Amino acid sequence: MKTPKISIHDLKLWYGESEALHGIDVEFAENQVTALIGPSGCGKSTLLRCLNRMNDRISGCRIEGEILLDGDDIYAPEVDVVQLRTHVGMVFQKPNPFPKSIYENVAYAPRIHGLADKGSDMDEVVETALRRASIWNEVKDKLNTPGTSLSGGQQQRLCIARTIAVKPNVILMDEPCSALDPIATAKIEELIDELKGEFTIIMVTHSMQQAARISDQTAFFYMGDLIEFGETGKIFTQPAKQQTEDYITGRFG
Amino acid sequence: MSLQINANMKRRYAAERRFKAYAITALALAGAFLVFFFADIISKGLPALQQAEILVDVHYSETSMKSYKKAVDKPYRNIVSRGYLRTLPLYMEDHPELMGTTEERWAVADSDVDQYLKGKPHRLKAKYQKQIDALQAEGKVQLGFNVGFFTNGDSKMPELAGIKSAVIGSIYVLLLTIAFALPIGVMTAVYLEEFAPDNRLTQTIEVNINNLAAIPSILFGLLGLAIFINFFGAPRSSALAGGLTLALMTLPIIIITTRASLKAVPDSIREAAFGLGASRWQSTWHHVLPLAMPGILTGSIIGLAQAMGETAPLLIVGMMAYVPDAPGSILEAATVLPAQIYTWAGESIRAYEERTAAAILVLLSVLLSLNGLAVYMRKQFERRW
Repeated sequence: MKTPKISIHDLKLWYGESEALHGIDVEFAENQVTALIGPSGCGKSTLLRCLNRMNDRISGCRIEGEILLDGDDIYAPEVDVVQLRTHVGMVFQKPNPFPKSIYENVAYAPRIHGLADKGSDMDEVVETALRRASIWNEVKDKLNTPGTSLSGGQQQRLCIARTIAVKPNVILMDEPCSALDPIATAKIEELIDELKGEFTIIMVTHSMQQAARISDQTAFFYMGDLIEFGETGKIFTQPAKQQTEDYITGRFG
Repeated sequence: MSLQINANMKRRYAAERRFKAYAITALALAGAFLVFFFADIISKGLPALQQAEILVDVHYSETSMKSYKKAVDKPYRNIVSRGYLRTLPLYMEDHPELMGTTEERWAVADSDVDQYLKGKPHRLKAKYQKQIDALQAEGKVQLGFNVGFFTNGDSKMPELAGIKSAVIGSIYVLLLTIAFALPIGVMTAVYLEEFAPDNRLTQTIEVNINNLAAIPSILFGLLGLAIFINFFGAPRSSALAGGLTLALMTLPIIIITTRASLKAVPDSIREAAFGLGASRWQSTWHHVLPLAMPGILTGSIIGLAQAMGETAPLLIVGMMAYVPDAPGSILEAATVLPAQIYTWAGESIRAYEERTAAAILVLLSVLLSLNGLAVYMRKQFERRW
């Protein structure tokens, strides 16, 4: 296993009174794709949203334990959430482009973070991001049309372009293909495969095949516990735990 | 079994038809009221757009400067408006070159002449009626377009009374209401919806804001009197006092509609912005507010239209006033259109009736255009996401 990008130690999380995560210990490797799988409500999305502190928005959400990004605790008091999110980008379940032009969607974050100046500098950033997200050829002639006018799969790739325009180290993906048809899904998977050389990708997925196809590591969650974590090939061929085997073979969940 | 169902079906259809008939009757009734109301107001108000005028020789001289009645020949002195004659010395002061000349002018007629010509109840003596008939035969009496209705302020002589000062007062009040209520209301709503934690305090505030929207408007008048006039010393009857009072009244409406529009913006937009490292303010200012803007504007326009038609709170801050001259600033005594309508409706002289109706027509058309604007904006800015 490569060097860990993110290490989580004894992470516990409560929504009000109910404990959603019961002490998770896991390490995510750099520049690899890690798939988080498990039945609905098992805590995988919750864990994912801890990694860029999206859970801060939920009132009554409380955590214990530590999450280290490159060795630094992201929940330390001196950490600026806004800055953290420029290092840890996120792609959501439902494509959510801003109802603005395609160009503006990608240029927005670089602009507010001062990563590029207006004009040709920004044009370049936008083009690079769109190329990296393999959508440049489809949208290069209509950069001023609204992002919402694209098809679902295109919108999702636009959202990925928007995320990588900030040049994060980690990209979190929360079921990025669940709202897409198989062809669009295949394109996104291809894209993820291309991106992993450059980014650490952690994705939640409900599709076993998808996890098996594109991830290097797989973590299986159940009822707020990490049941099993390891090489994807191993998890899917010879899981160590009975629960994991039952889940991936479709016997429950 | 199936027969029983058929019997039931018949009854169900009958009930359905009955229900539909009730609904149509209600709609027709409401429509009839509306048509009746508009027909009545329009038929009463339209004559006010015309005003009787008499062609007379006006003498510009020292004598008429001293005694304005002498500006016209004796037989005309009782049928030409006294108020009109009173303005002549001022006119002469402004135009000294006219001194010593005589000019044939269309002079505003007395309101009884006006009502007589329009075939309405009047108190014109028989001899003057004959005189008017004779003048009419000569073509020296006419019903001209009533420019004065739009260019004059209020007057105790109905033939000279106009809506200008009330319109200007209304504009001042409305601008002040917008200036105070819109930014405060929108910012309050943004804070409560996007920034404030959901705890007991904010819930209490929310309940109280909702209650404020349901408070009788006259109480806002008392509040305005106590705070703006008595405490802060805003001049009584001024557009400032009225505008601030109406701003208080409009605030809850703007806050509620703004919160509703902000709530309607899907959370995925906020998540997208936060996920890219936008701060709360950036997410709100760059993404959420622009999407909520059409809703905010529509709600605010409707709230302002309501404020514009409001009379009760202004009664308390002294805006139900006789204001012949249009206010020059927000600190001068002013009145507003609905208050002007109320004042005229209470006048005993019959000629005010048609002016009341005409003023109502003006107010209604302004309110209808405001609501039309709200609908237009909603259509115009509607966006999909």
